[in-house]
Amino acid sequence: MALRVWASSTANALRISSASKARLSPAFSLSRCFSTVLDGLKYASSHEWVKHEGAVATIGITDHAQDHLGEVVFVELPEPGGKVSQGGSFGAVESVKATSDVNSPISGEVVEVNSKLTGSPGLINSSPYEEGWMIKVKPSSPSELESLLGPKEYTKFCEEEDAAH
Amino acid sequence: MKVLRSLEVWKMGSINYLNALKLQEKLVSDRKTHKIPDTLLSLQHPPTYTLGKRRTDHNLLIPEPDLQKIGAELHYTQRGGDITFHGPHQAILYPIISLRDVGLGARNYVEKLELTMIELASLYGVRARAGQTGETGVWVGERKIGAIGVRISYGITSHGLAFNIDPDLNYFKHIVPCGIANKEVTSLRKETDSVLPAEEVIHEQLISCFARVLGYSNLIWKENGSILSDSVEN
Repeated sequence: MALRVWASSTANALRISSASKARLSPAFSLSRCFSTVLDGLKYASSHEWVKHEGAVATIGITDHAQDHLGEVVFVELPEPGGKVSQGGSFGAVESVKATSDVNSPISGEVVEVNSKLTGSPGLINSSPYEEGWMIKVKPSSPSELESLLGPKEYTKFCEEEDAAH
Repeated sequence: MKVLRSLEVWKMGSINYLNALKLQEKLVSDRKTHKIPDTLLSLQHPPTYTLGKRRTDHNLLIPEPDLQKIGAELHYTQRGGDITFHGPHQAILYPIISLRDVGLGARNYVEKLELTMIELASLYGVRARAGQTGETGVWVGERKIGAIGVRISYGITSHGLAFNIDPDLNYFKHIVPCGIANKEVTSLRKETDSVLPAEEVIHEQLISCFARVLGYSNLIWKENGSILSDSVEN
């Protein structure tokens, strides 16, 4: 746990410097290995996280995802009341002239969206697990959470994905 | 162990924008279900203005009805990026590839698209560079020679890059290109002292640069014609 805290503050320090000098490749690869993965959340292999608290689940994209995207300049979110299905797209983020679909880890009804992201899309980069949350969903099949990755599995998944190239 | 990575290259000539869009949607779906390998479309468009997901149509400086008068179409798309122009003598690549299979995120992928165009420019002695933060694209000095706009859906890319070989740059006067005001647009013709070969040669060089930068060791070439009409009709 202490190692992860150290790692993530180092990563934050690195990210601050790499954000201002976007072309420094060495800083990228170091911070990638130290992407933060939080306990208590479930993860999808498409790099979204879900936090299930009682009747509502909060969804966003992971630190690994925001790091690989670059600076988010635009976020497209659904309307509250809409439905999402597991693995289906619910919105998109734009960074570096690329729009990337964001997929829902679970099925359910959208009860709230983070309207702050319209004016401050960068919250996804600076606070992917907290202020950068994207939607809140009332899960229709809570058992879907079982099929998602836990923190350790997700960390391993990221490491394997990054090692592939 | 080095894995042999294959890229299927479709050389398509000049294609209407909407047809190309429909084809890409089908190919993305096919790539997602592993029916096809990583695929690269190499083509041009007739005069066409396109907008990205943010629909920044305030950057179109002439009224939409006037577009027909100048022989151009306008299309709204789901790609990233701002408004741009596509036209004859501009080389376009639309890679339909699985980013997860190559282990790239959006940012790294876009950087490789920039590098592809930078390498092509260097073949003609033109020193191009990637844009600063917020100015994705390829520049020669303060003049833009290559544009990028990408869509990533389920980890599969579509749209891609556009490199100005020798398009009619007047068309760019009707927009704020890529939403960046006060910056010129340029072309390989304008920037190089070298004699340019036939455009087909430059298209193939662009494809080779892409394959090299993205690490594809095996290229499978498909020419135009029947492949396009089959796919679009479906």
